[in-house]
Amino acid sequence: MNKSDIKLIIIILIIAIIVLFVIAIIGNDTSKSALVYYDNNLVLSIDLTDKSEQEYIVNGYNGPVKIIKKDGKIKVEEEDSPLHLCSRQGFIEKSYESIVCLPNKIVIKIVSSKQEELDTVVR
Amino acid sequence: MTKKRKFKKGVIPKLLILLIIFIVIILGVVFVIRKINSLKLKEFTKTLNYMDTVIDIKLYSNNENQANTIIGEIEKIYKHYHELTDRYNSYEGINNVYTINHTNDASKLKIDQDLYNILDYSVNWYYKSNGLFNINIGLLTDLWKGYRDKKEGIPTDEELFKIAGLDIKRVVLYDDNTILTGDVNLDLGGIAKGYATEVVHHYLQSINFDHYLINVGGTVLAGVNSDGGKYTVGIQDPDNANGIIKDGKKELKLNLSNCIVTSSGGYERFYEYDGQRYHHIIDPNTKMPANYMKSVSVITNDAMLGDALSTTLFLMSVEDGQEYIKQFPSVEAIWYTNDNKVVKSSGIKKYE
Repeated sequence: MNKSDIKLIIIILIIAIIVLFVIAIIGNDTSKSALVYYDNNLVLSIDLTDKSEQEYIVNGYNGPVKIIKKDGKIKVEEEDSPLHLCSRQGFIEKSYESIVCLPNKIVIKIVSSKQEELDTVVR
Repeated sequence: MTKKRKFKKGVIPKLLILLIIFIVIILGVVFVIRKINSLKLKEFTKTLNYMDTVIDIKLYSNNENQANTIIGEIEKIYKHYHELTDRYNSYEGINNVYTINHTNDASKLKIDQDLYNILDYSVNWYYKSNGLFNINIGLLTDLWKGYRDKKEGIPTDEELFKIAGLDIKRVVLYDDNTILTGDVNLDLGGIAKGYATEVVHHYLQSINFDHYLINVGGTVLAGVNSDGGKYTVGIQDPDNANGIIKDGKKELKLNLSNCIVTSSGGYERFYEYDGQRYHHIIDPNTKMPANYMKSVSVITNDAMLGDALSTTLFLMSVEDGQEYIKQFPSVEAIWYTNDNKVVKSSGIKKYE
């Protein structure tokens, strides 16, 4: 092996490392979505990675439940329940947060590939 | 011709060797990354809805069948205790709290061993808590729930005065798993979730499964996380459904593994009337919602103890509580006062 061979090996190694970095970055997807459950069954999955504003309606136990997505966050806008706890809660965006509407049997959870600073909250 | 051949012989094999080295390196690294990923435990989650609350189960395992079996067993336990302790519905073939409360004649009613054990445990806690932890306050629960459902008014003095018979001595348990009915109105809201969670805890220990995080309303049962380390746990801010309580300006975060955090507070079920908040944890002495603090949380190794203890602490002043928990050496507590201050027992430091 002469000098140019060694140069070539080094160049190829550098290319290999760059390729690996690219793979690592692409592979590390930052997915985030809101999962809406009715009576423990997944009824709707909403992608939260884009910041667009959108409105969804799902059927709750007491009637329609209006859900709004905005800036990668999600909230319940309107529902029929005695205390309206879930529509009063406002937007959520972290994976340890959830919106729960027991009267309507609706649960909204956030799943995110990003590591959050909290694992759970004692309610 | 011969010159060209020589050129090929010299350079192309070298390029080939380099190409092979390149491919081998890439494949090697991809293999190692795959291997690391497969060693990482996978997350399995399930949300259940029992005991009037949401139960979030999170397990880490590299065996999907095992994870699903465990989730199934946990669901069975919560369903079982949900049915036993439900005071609003009856279930076929079960004598539960509803049956006990709605049997008006004085008779011995046969109950499930598990329900018997909860009642026995709770009656003992009445004495341990000097009468603060009382499961025989169903009449008060119903009176307040009536107003909470209407979201208007509060019980009149006369209505409160008329509520009698909250004496724990009316809860009579016999050795043959029977209870004397006719004179009791039970509410296991302060113990059912913790009790069931401790049964789940025992089950997980019995099968040597460590990687779990279970959130049952005011109770969090934490094993170890996917790396075998601690979980970071916050305590709900009673005034902000999406926030956690702050100690001064800093959010209070606890690093926990293999323990249980239980919170009691007046923010989960309440209504507002005339600018006042009226919640669901009623002080049997004043017959009013307890108002000593916004919330209290305890860290224990036993979810039954945690549930009974946090309810008890919520029904006494912060100062009395600090004195009271000294009899439980391994227990730590965090009070969140009415003026939004955090008061910690001395051992909380090790979790921060």
